[in-house]
Amino acid sequence: MNQTVVSYLLQFEPIKKLVLSLSNLLGFNAISIVSFLIFLIVILIVVGFLATVGGLGTYAERKISADMQARIGPNRVGPYGILQFLADGAKMLLKEDIIPTQSDKFLFYVAPMLCIVGVFGTIAVIPFSSGFTILNFNVGLVYLIGISSLVGLGVFLGGYGSNSKWSMLGGMRGASQIISYEIPVVLSSLSIVLLSGGLSFSALIGAQGGWPHEWFIFHNPFTFIGFFILFIGSLAETNRAPFDLPEAESELVSGYHTEFSGMRFGFFALAEYIEVFVVCGLATALFLGGYNVPMHLGGDGLIGQVLQVGSFVSKTFLLYYIVIVTRWTLPRLRVDQLMTMCWKYLIPIAMFNLIMVGLWMWLFDGRSLFTLLFKSASVASGAGH
Amino acid sequence: MFDTILFIFAALAAIVGGILTISVKNLMHACVFLLLTLLGVAGLYLTLGADFVGVIQLVVYVGGVVVLMVFAVMLTSGSNAQKVNRFGMVKIPTMGNFRTYTLAGIFAALILMSIIKLYRNVFSMARLEKLPEYYPTVSKIGHSLVSTHVLAFEISSVLLLGALVGAAIISRPKREMR
Repeated sequence: MNQTVVSYLLQFEPIKKLVLSLSNLLGFNAISIVSFLIFLIVILIVVGFLATVGGLGTYAERKISADMQARIGPNRVGPYGILQFLADGAKMLLKEDIIPTQSDKFLFYVAPMLCIVGVFGTIAVIPFSSGFTILNFNVGLVYLIGISSLVGLGVFLGGYGSNSKWSMLGGMRGASQIISYEIPVVLSSLSIVLLSGGLSFSALIGAQGGWPHEWFIFHNPFTFIGFFILFIGSLAETNRAPFDLPEAESELVSGYHTEFSGMRFGFFALAEYIEVFVVCGLATALFLGGYNVPMHLGGDGLIGQVLQVGSFVSKTFLLYYIVIVTRWTLPRLRVDQLMTMCWKYLIPIAMFNLIMVGLWMWLFDGRSLFTLLFKSASVASGAGH
Repeated sequence: MFDTILFIFAALAAIVGGILTISVKNLMHACVFLLLTLLGVAGLYLTLGADFVGVIQLVVYVGGVVVLMVFAVMLTSGSNAQKVNRFGMVKIPTMGNFRTYTLAGIFAALILMSIIKLYRNVFSMARLEKLPEYYPTVSKIGHSLVSTHVLAFEISSVLLLGALVGAAIISRPKREMR
């Protein structure tokens, strides 16, 4: 059976006692109810956390961009303006819900929901720590890629349903971009699957260690290139600059969500910022060691879990910061440059990487570059004599 | 109990989505309901313990086929402004004549026969009291793809190559006629 957060928590005595006493009280085996309650609480925690990350993401974006452009940024609501996202949220909820009369009402309703469902569907497999993963699905990587493709459909239907030229162009660009850039992302994560020999996040992360030289990004030269391909592809999949063509402000007003207002627009924005967190988490789990802590500090107990969550989240936020800085540094690509970059450069390089990683596995028996160097150095210095 | 509830939800999604897919007139809406059906089918696979098939259902159908369908509907609608409105095929005058009904009848009979043939084995089988224990299917599928079913695997890759070449030939810019 797949390991879940429930099966992790059921190791502990208080939870076992709770199950037993509930079973005695109700007269039947209460394990289903307890696991349902645990799932409910954990999912509420994770959804709340991710929604806060999405909200604070907008704040961080505005603050960092202000810093880079020598402005002040939001500074009125709360200390340093940190409660700005709550004020924005309240504003969006209270705004009039405008639906264009010529739009396709059904698609207009469905599109933001598809986006938000696609993003929140991924939280089931995000590996926060070895115990605190909602579901350690044994095909978790494929599930994450599959469920997050709902976002592309949401973007496209949002553009199509609003019946406006700008939205339509943005939606078409978004869908084609998301479909195209899924290929290099999948190819470069496949090379990691080859190295670790599993599709579940516990297998992918368990094959790495806590120190940077044990991470897959420094495993061999090809995974080093593969990390950047995955990162570029993730940027394009989340419609972030320099690939923000679907919502290019200077050409398309606001792209696929031009006609959306109030909380429907809020859903699109929230989905974008949470998806950035999710893809950064994916890059962390695949290449940067995931939740591994150096020297296995804290063991498997509660302290260890907290340290693991800290390790995962801090690496992910570092990547999040890089994503934001990239947006305010690079200019936007043209559509033809976008497609050329994906199909003529990223996909061939990713394919070459995949083959070379397989070759590396065959030649060096899956040992990392660091191990090989260390071995040869120790042999040269007379180890084993 | 938990499994049964999830199974019922998935089955409801599949059935309701299927009925709505064939009953709505707007082609784009039908695509969205088809998405619901496919998600329901993926859920059915997952509750029955076929994890890999369920997830591949998500990747292939949700990520690929439905998006392609929506694209195709959008790009082809509006080309024939007299008969078709901007969402597809609402304005088609009559939905059938003698020929189409005959063809549909033949195909319905064929599908019915094959379904009966499939289900005869199912009903004649002894009922399982308990489902076999859950077992991850990825490695099994992988091993059988490169050992027992390697020929089918290779042939399907040749088919995909043919589709790729065909698409390249169709989309190539036409030369000037001489």
